[in-house]
Amino acid sequence: MLKMVVGIKWVPNTTSVNIDPKTGTLIREGIPSVVNPHDLEAVEMALRLKDEYGGKVTVITMSPPSAIAGLEHVLGMGADEAILVSDRAFAGADTLATSYVLAKVIERLDYDLIIFGQETIDSSTAHVGAQVASWLDLPYVYYVTHAELRDRKLVVRRSLENAHETYELELPALISVAMHTLHPRRVKVSNKLRVKLENPIKTWSNQVLGLDPECIGLRGSPTALSKIEMVPKVPRKNEVFRGDAREAAKWLLEKLMEEGLLKLG
Amino acid sequence: MKEVGYKFDVIVVGAGPAGSAAAYTLAKKGFKVLLVERGRVPGSKNVFGGRVYADPLRDVFDGFDEAPIHRWVTKERISLVNGEAMTSFEFHERKRTSFTTYLTELACWMARKVEEAGGTVLTEITVDELVVEDGKVTGIRVGDEKVSSDVVIDAEGINRLLLERAGLVPKLEVRYAGLGVKEVIKLSKKEIEDLFGLDEDEGLAWLMMGDVTGGLPGGAFLYTNRDSVSVGLVVMLGEAVKEVREHISRYVEALRLHPLLERYFRNGRIMEYSAHLVPEYTWPSLPHRLYADGLLVAGDAAGLLLNLGYNFRGVDYAAYSGYLAAKAVEKAHEMGGMTSENLSVYERMLEESFIMKQLRKFRNAPKMRENGRLYTTYPEVVNSVMDQLFHSPYEIPKVMEAFKRAKDGKIGWLDLVRDLLEVVRSV
Repeated sequence: MLKMVVGIKWVPNTTSVNIDPKTGTLIREGIPSVVNPHDLEAVEMALRLKDEYGGKVTVITMSPPSAIAGLEHVLGMGADEAILVSDRAFAGADTLATSYVLAKVIERLDYDLIIFGQETIDSSTAHVGAQVASWLDLPYVYYVTHAELRDRKLVVRRSLENAHETYELELPALISVAMHTLHPRRVKVSNKLRVKLENPIKTWSNQVLGLDPECIGLRGSPTALSKIEMVPKVPRKNEVFRGDAREAAKWLLEKLMEEGLLKLG
Repeated sequence: MKEVGYKFDVIVVGAGPAGSAAAYTLAKKGFKVLLVERGRVPGSKNVFGGRVYADPLRDVFDGFDEAPIHRWVTKERISLVNGEAMTSFEFHERKRTSFTTYLTELACWMARKVEEAGGTVLTEITVDELVVEDGKVTGIRVGDEKVSSDVVIDAEGINRLLLERAGLVPKLEVRYAGLGVKEVIKLSKKEIEDLFGLDEDEGLAWLMMGDVTGGLPGGAFLYTNRDSVSVGLVVMLGEAVKEVREHISRYVEALRLHPLLERYFRNGRIMEYSAHLVPEYTWPSLPHRLYADGLLVAGDAAGLLLNLGYNFRGVDYAAYSGYLAAKAVEKAHEMGGMTSENLSVYERMLEESFIMKQLRKFRNAPKMRENGRLYTTYPEVVNSVMDQLFHSPYEIPKVMEAFKRAKDGKIGWLDLVRDLLEVVRSV
């Protein structure tokens, strides 16, 4: 029986995001949002542990209310409860202010294990998991590819480029799942029906949490982004030669020499 | 297979226009309705050319005037194209009969109406099969779970995998289907109005016949949306599979880059590419029934689409057939149950509706569209006549003279008369 909390983020689908070349900021308008795909792997790991040992999975996210669609999705996968942490006072938060709020939410929950995804596709900082562990003073392992329980201890495997490390963690603990390790499961129709008909999503505002305005939102965020520079696009010529392979090879050789990319030695 | 803990009066498969219309109509009457959709949002698996006729939808949905309408089609243009020549016929009248929109927006709006009426809408749910027990459809299977209902309305679209798996219809033959392929190209609202001579909220529907399809039998279309245009092709798959030489997306690209059309898209940005099957031979010629014990079939799955060659009616036919399916469920409920016999009222209602009246009237249209000369010879002849009439400064031919010169060696009088008769008889 493991009581788990999983943190997810509702992010613009960056495969279709454009960056404003003038301001260097994300153009979010009209871009559909999704659950950060690496966070779905965190949910999947929690659900596998629940399948194996029994327990309860609570998913939390700090976001505007549009993230409800994302919470519905993970409840559809099989999470038991979901909490939307949402308040204008939380807006504009950097990773520090975000992790502070999430830590304060988790403090109010009964938990053995907290799971995050490796990083988000919209900012890739990988800060939040580590910071939450720090706020809550928990052991933390990241790049986790496998986890199992042995005598009330969590044994996790951490994958590095040329080695696997195995850690034994006292619970409660926090882990973040290495991306591209788990395939998130399909949603189940019974879970989706429960979401629609029983509405298991709770919303917690700062009225519930009562956090110091100096520590949250924009005011609680010391990070300042000074500048984004765009990597200039390399112009491509995109020339196509159709015809005989022998001819094509000759043509290609000439082209490359013309461009000064090849030289006769 | 585990039974889920909820039971419904009606399950509707597919949140396209047919499914949402059916679910909405029944939810409004107090039936416990579940609408399931495999896409991320309702309509995300739907593709249409670009135009919808409003009146049938107005009959189905209350508050239809709040639906996401981009432009009312006030300008109809039909063009015969060959090479770099195009002869067009244009009709402009400010009437609000049909409109352009994004189908996903429209389908989302419809599904919201279902929820407002008290129905349950689930997305990202792929139904694996219809559950058939003792010859009666008793629900749906999703993964290892079953959801039960008294009746299932199948609005799964043209690719009727559920009906096929249940053995209710044969595999869809290639010759019964067309393939629609299109791009949506972003322009500004003003650019569209300037380029196509439109007032604010006026729209253009433009059908093109001839070699703009790259030689494939079918036609090309262009519809103006609020701040984009939809441009694409519908080709008859049965013929096209023999002739297609490149990936079909290349044909749309060639259309976009056509010397006479490229000017419209020059400042545009491609937002979307999509492709979808279209019913080509429609219900009267398809070998299946639209009802069974515990089951009704609506929309594209039922082959209810009218393709006249110069106009398409798909979305409104689908929605209206869904509406009739809902009415049939109501009637069957009054008569005591969802038996095949009670549900057969659906086919009678369809027969009496505008849908079947039109489909029957135009039943020869698909056959007509198989006539290759419509796409090759005639555009060529017409453009050649126009060319002679306007580009012969010293020797203006009489119209008949120009026509004879244009047709000689391409088509004989007999074929011409026969084709003419066929067109007149079909449409």
